[in-house]
Amino acid sequence: MISLERIKRTSPLYIGVTILFYLPVLAILGKVLFNKQLYLELAEFIHSGLLWNTLSFSVREAFLSAAFSLLLALPGAYYFGNYDFPGKRFLRNLLVLPFMLPGILVVLGMIVFYGQNGTFNHWLAALFPESGFRFTGLYGFSGIVLANVFYNFSFCIRVLGESWERIDPSLREASASLGGSRLRTFWGVTLPLLAPTISYLFLLIFLYSFLSFTVVLTLGGYLYKTFEVLIYIEYNSKLNFDRATMIAVVQMLILAAVLYLQTWSSRRIRVTGRFSRLLPQLSWRKRPLICLSVLGCGLLAGLFFAAPLGAICFRSLMRRGLPGSGWTLDNYRSLFGSGFRFIIGKSLTAVIVTSIGLALTVAIITTVIAYCLARGRRAKPWQLGDLWLQLPVGISFVTFSFGVSLVARRFPPFILVLWAQVFLAFPLVYSLLRTAWRDLGEPVIEAARSLGANSRQVFWTVELPMMRKTITTAAAYAMAFSLGDLAAVLMLGQGKLTTVSMVIYRLIGHYHFPQALAMGVLFIGVSVFLYSLVQENSKGNKVSIQD
Amino acid sequence: MSKPILKLALEKTYPEFNINLELTIDNGEFFSLLGPSGCGKTTLLRLIAGLEKPDRGTIILNGRDITKLSPDKRRIGLVFQNYALFPHLNVYENIEYGLKLGKYSPVERNHKIEEMLNLFQLDNLAKRAILQLSGGEQQRVALARALAVEPEILLLDEPFSALDYEIRSSLREELIQLQQDIGFTTIFVTHQQEEALSISNRIGLMRQGRVIQVGKPAEVYQNPVNIFTAMFLGDATLIPCRLAGAKSEGQLFILENGQKMELVSREYYEEDLQWLMIRPEDIRLDAENPQFEGEIVRIEYFGPLYRLEADTGRFNFKLIAGKEAGAFNKGTRIGFSFDPGMVRVLDQ
Repeated sequence: MISLERIKRTSPLYIGVTILFYLPVLAILGKVLFNKQLYLELAEFIHSGLLWNTLSFSVREAFLSAAFSLLLALPGAYYFGNYDFPGKRFLRNLLVLPFMLPGILVVLGMIVFYGQNGTFNHWLAALFPESGFRFTGLYGFSGIVLANVFYNFSFCIRVLGESWERIDPSLREASASLGGSRLRTFWGVTLPLLAPTISYLFLLIFLYSFLSFTVVLTLGGYLYKTFEVLIYIEYNSKLNFDRATMIAVVQMLILAAVLYLQTWSSRRIRVTGRFSRLLPQLSWRKRPLICLSVLGCGLLAGLFFAAPLGAICFRSLMRRGLPGSGWTLDNYRSLFGSGFRFIIGKSLTAVIVTSIGLALTVAIITTVIAYCLARGRRAKPWQLGDLWLQLPVGISFVTFSFGVSLVARRFPPFILVLWAQVFLAFPLVYSLLRTAWRDLGEPVIEAARSLGANSRQVFWTVELPMMRKTITTAAAYAMAFSLGDLAAVLMLGQGKLTTVSMVIYRLIGHYHFPQALAMGVLFIGVSVFLYSLVQENSKGNKVSIQD
Repeated sequence: MSKPILKLALEKTYPEFNINLELTIDNGEFFSLLGPSGCGKTTLLRLIAGLEKPDRGTIILNGRDITKLSPDKRRIGLVFQNYALFPHLNVYENIEYGLKLGKYSPVERNHKIEEMLNLFQLDNLAKRAILQLSGGEQQRVALARALAVEPEILLLDEPFSALDYEIRSSLREELIQLQQDIGFTTIFVTHQQEEALSISNRIGLMRQGRVIQVGKPAEVYQNPVNIFTAMFLGDATLIPCRLAGAKSEGQLFILENGQKMELVSREYYEEDLQWLMIRPEDIRLDAENPQFEGEIVRIEYFGPLYRLEADTGRFNFKLIAGKEAGAFNKGTRIGFSFDPGMVRVLDQ
């Protein structure tokens, strides 16, 4: 039962946000609809090999990224979903970290660890000295899939593990009592119950990988391009706006189909329901084999995650960033020297101030808008209006940035990038706050009102203390997204806005790896700080629930 | 307990139902709003508390019109079904919350909190986090928090519904004792008939947004105004009948099986179908000179008594019997009678 007053209060903001989010997209669509030249361009594009090459590459890399992420996550998800063991909560929380790492940092880690001169190849050379066996596929298809798997694999373990945890054990017991073997039970009971989550995750990772920008731009060279990279090249390098527009529209159509499937699969997940249960505790005495396999699995996954990041830290302290060349702090010192300024065109301080300033502004604006909207919609069930606010998830970020450049070309770059990054961060921030508002519940607010608190007092004494953790988490995510963004800065920054991501991208591009490594370590530090903010808050929530 | 404290004349339209009622609550009374789920009890409470706004009508509390006042200015205490305690504050701070807003001095505040902690036996739990309390303890805190600010009226929205039977009955007793000691006016929402009958000074029975009947528990139970009220408040045998005509001392009804029954001091003139209602406890086993005879079709054991259902061939009579019913089985033929003075004639 929503009061008219509340609807009136929410509407202008809601309308404003929808306009800011959809105007750039509509601008692109409008440009195609009312430009006959673009129809010819479209026909040519369809008949050229470029469309099919890009589509074929994007589908293949997205498919394999999703499949490998899920396959590799399956054992970990099984242990998470079926056993309790010391440090489980810590590990579960750690699985969020890759999600918060900037794309360019992942790329740097990949180059340093899996590159021609990378640590991985050094290990291979040490293990098989005579064979000459080396991994040379980083700059290409396998490198792109590897980086995508690095990003998504941990997320899969977490979500699939939680889904597994919620399966009612009595269903498996019923299958066993009816004569079902463990394999038959897994095949006939567990897997069908996990299937909605698996399909949801598959499509989500497919979507993310299909829209991959930073990874493909850096590791794909000229051979491998997603539609995102193609739009960027047409827009930024060839200055062919019409073609960029037309590619953006083609991508939108393809994405619409993927999004439809994704929404359908996420709806099926909710039907599966929730079941919480006590899991058997793992102990070496009772289940030594399982303990061993959990340990092995954890070590491999840990190595997969930690090695690229560890390699960045380790090699940042090596002369010229090369292993075995002696310890030094020169790489860090060089960040403050004139060489850095010469390459980047800005001092390190200016870069950091710009990055942090932008990230903070994005975090504040996104969180405030999302908070107000979530607050206004708190009494409503999750419905179309929320989906509308979540839709940015399914719109290509490069397309959106391109759209922003079409509708507001004359705005200062800072404003344009801000606009795009708010759009990027909004769906997750809104989703976090909306869920928190739903959990907070109306009665607590009403109780405060009935005890004599006016709206302002309710906000300061009940809402804010109870929402503080979620607000911090949401703002930390928004900051992480802003810091990690490269696409908007490249497309809308007009070369005038230099962020940390941009600096690392340029340093990699100019083969200044020692400085890139030192910058990477600074970036890891910031990411870990933001991650710790998120974890601190989620830890508090969990404790209170268990109490 | 006769001076009215709250006068309601309200209308509120929702897509699914309407509230349209008039009601007066007396000062110091324990008034229960009773009705099936979805009948508008909680909505009425929310209207009184100011959490919903009526489309039309007025709410007069202690002579002042509070219809348009916001909830924080009404001085009405509300205890929610799920208690709605602030999880970020401990027990002490929860009770303190309203007092702080009420601009009490720190000394007064502390004194009041101590009084409440003592009254609700929460002294040892003052610093305890809300999530570490049991359901019964949370219930006490919610009551203490609501009463600490000395509201003019206390609204309780099914406050015992989440508790198990034992805690529920002990808290119910405590609440009644407290209400009698302090004398605060209470409106208690419940859908549990026995609860309402046992603790209330008066009951208001609601159905589809309207108050169907108001009265003392015994009055409402014994003289329900229609079939809905009769059946909602307890078990009853209902017999369809038609008015046959007036007799010297009363009226003669013809039951649908043709049997005649004379009832005293009732004024029913329509010839429409009506219902005779008789409560199970008003029917007695009568082996010697029974008014009716029937075959037992259901027998339920409740410890101190048996609940029987006997089929006379046309009607099923519900009756309550003592230990003697221990010898009965399904199919046993029994005779029974009742005093026609206990029979009520009800409209549809």
